[in-house]
Amino acid sequence: MENATSKDIERELARLRDAMGDEGPTQRTRVMNHVAWVPERWVDAAQEVLAGLEERYPSRVIVLYPRPDDDRDGIDAEVDLRCFAHGQRGTICAEVVELQLRGARAAAAASIVEPLLTADLTDFLRWRGDLPFGEPELEKLVAVADRLVVDSREWRDPDAAFVRLAELFDRVTVSDIAWARTEPWREAVAQLWPGCARADRVRVAGPRAEAILLAGWLTARLERDIELDHEPAGEVELVEVDGDPAVPKWVEAKSASDLLSDQLDIFSRDPIYEEAVRSFSRVPI
Amino acid sequence: MTELAENPLLEGLRTRRTPEPCVLVIFGASGDLTQRKLLPAVYSLAYRRLLPESFAVVGVARSELSTEEFCGRMREAVAEHSRDEFRDDVWETLAPALRYIPLEFASEEGWSTLTDCLSELDRTRGTAGNRVYYLAVPPSAFGTVTQELGKRRDTGGWTRVIVEKPFGHDADTARQLNETISGHFDESEIFRIDHYLGKETVQNMLVLRFANGIFEPIWNRQFVDHVQITVSESVGIEGRADFYEEAGAVRDIFQNHLLQLLALTAMEPPIEFDAESVRHEKVKVLRAMHTPGPKHVVRGQYGPGYIEGVEVPGYREEPGVAPDSSTETYVAAKLFVDNWRWADTPFYVRTGKRLPRRETTIAIEFKRAPHPPFEAATDDGARPNVLLLHIQPDEGISLEIGAKVPGQGLTIRTVHMDFVYGGAFREGLPEAYERLIVDAMLGDTTLFMRSDEVEEQWAIVDAIVAGWKRDRPAFPNYAAGTWGPVAADDLMHRDGREWRRY
Repeated sequence: MENATSKDIERELARLRDAMGDEGPTQRTRVMNHVAWVPERWVDAAQEVLAGLEERYPSRVIVLYPRPDDDRDGIDAEVDLRCFAHGQRGTICAEVVELQLRGARAAAAASIVEPLLTADLTDFLRWRGDLPFGEPELEKLVAVADRLVVDSREWRDPDAAFVRLAELFDRVTVSDIAWARTEPWREAVAQLWPGCARADRVRVAGPRAEAILLAGWLTARLERDIELDHEPAGEVELVEVDGDPAVPKWVEAKSASDLLSDQLDIFSRDPIYEEAVRSFSRVPI
Repeated sequence: MTELAENPLLEGLRTRRTPEPCVLVIFGASGDLTQRKLLPAVYSLAYRRLLPESFAVVGVARSELSTEEFCGRMREAVAEHSRDEFRDDVWETLAPALRYIPLEFASEEGWSTLTDCLSELDRTRGTAGNRVYYLAVPPSAFGTVTQELGKRRDTGGWTRVIVEKPFGHDADTARQLNETISGHFDESEIFRIDHYLGKETVQNMLVLRFANGIFEPIWNRQFVDHVQITVSESVGIEGRADFYEEAGAVRDIFQNHLLQLLALTAMEPPIEFDAESVRHEKVKVLRAMHTPGPKHVVRGQYGPGYIEGVEVPGYREEPGVAPDSSTETYVAAKLFVDNWRWADTPFYVRTGKRLPRRETTIAIEFKRAPHPPFEAATDDGARPNVLLLHIQPDEGISLEIGAKVPGQGLTIRTVHMDFVYGGAFREGLPEAYERLIVDAMLGDTTLFMRSDEVEEQWAIVDAIVAGWKRDRPAFPNYAAGTWGPVAADDLMHRDGREWRRY
């Protein structure tokens, strides 16, 4: 649909439900609104993750593809009802609305999303790639969302971004997929207690974002300045605290859908994460 | 909590609910329960990293098996029955921790071998003398096993005993069992299992009632017309004639599952969600129930019939069943809880084998609207609202409400608003045994039955069974594949009500 309005989209969803007849949903359970902000370079990755999620959550999914450089101002919409049989008592559906935000519309995303949200459900905003702090598209969508889900591993300059990220904590609950990936390593480091109580240094071979988070976490939890010695790698491969290696019991190779899905099950603020991010500015590098 | 306070790095990590190191010792390890439920549950816990880091499982049974043979059988059982995919890497974390000890309960030598095995595991796997004993054995063996365990409990760690149902045969035997076990273990160490309490929907009933402000104000005699609790099974006795001939439906299901569901439905809000508060409220319900008279109880036994198009034999034709057996395979009862909340509100309960489908449901039927102005416009009667709690097979909650059919006229039709657990939450529902095994390792008895609770349940059953001794029933009185005897329908019809059809 070219130049679609929220009314057009709701009407199309209703038509799709009718068209499914007896094979359609016997109920319209929805547990959340899932809004995804997907700049051009993240389209393929985002679509793969969404395909893995649809069966798990009966929800309204609104995928925003910003195209601010497009010559035309307008919203093009694709609407789909993706249904999956569930047990003996019905069919569960995800209502998927994909919107191309062309030209000036890209900066007004929140006003486009808001009429499409199902009332009173938790609104998750998955932001792909760098966070444009201070820009209207982020600021206004954050004001609409209950929870912002990021993956700091996707950021081009995590050192700078983490410093700004803390500004958002009092406005929206933030969860970070990179932080979830560090959990087995944090468990392993916790096993070094009490030997690590007076640690001064952590060595991390892995992505920059995870290394920063681990150093910030140790700084906050131990209430000491912890120096970070970082070696770049695709995944976290090694964590040493004052030369003592942390050995995780289990590092699961989770799919991107699983990682996002885990974040969608969390509703409250994570003070340990927030402290880790805030402490990063104290980490000597 | 002490560990958390000392180690600031643990805060916020999910390891907080991981139990302390321990050995799970399963008595009756060659049985069906171990293969179908217990080991698959342990595997699923390993799959989710919910087991302690230092952990072992010791299978104990009479069968002469080696540890290798036991491992092989358990591997097959897990692959067949686990709700999770079978992964070699997960199994490899479990397999080295499995042991098997053949044991005749009367053999001193066998017990010494078991003790040596457990000591070896403490040394090699760091299980710290902590034990969870799972008694999946016939009640006749409880006494011997608990005595032997009691004699050998000085291991320097904690000990917990999980006891499978049936817990006794009547109030007297249950009391004797309680005395035997409590001679060696404190009540806080005894975990009488009713696996229904481990089911998500059963726990969710407490959340539904006490975390949602809209239900509790109407959860009483003023607004509820009656409650129906159904535990129906389409299977027969599945080769368990020895057990079933002795137990019957009243001891197999009514005494435990049905009365537990009733207690959870009728209980007052506990002060806290902890073991003593919850169990205290359940016991108060059981004590407030008055003994049903003979007219309020119906028993039945299935004859031949059809289940899903397949002809099945009657109960008396099942292998191992006496041809003139008077064991009941169906019980229905009208019960009352005599307190301010529920006085005069009937709780109709029924359970049976070879009914048309497997279904466990609690239906709260509310009173009709006092003065509906639409009476002439309803095409299926002005039906009252019903809140349905589906316990199995598809766990969830439905609310039946009247809605206007779109169009010029004013036609009202009943519609279901459904919340299906698996449809709303990504996480697969844990098997009840997973939750209960971890709770036992953590020492949390909230979802287990207390001694006085069991004895109160038996007191109700004893009163029902005593009434049955006066006459010999005309069995069979319902055909397999039907919803039970006509007398059960009459029980409802006399009150102007009907059983729900599922």
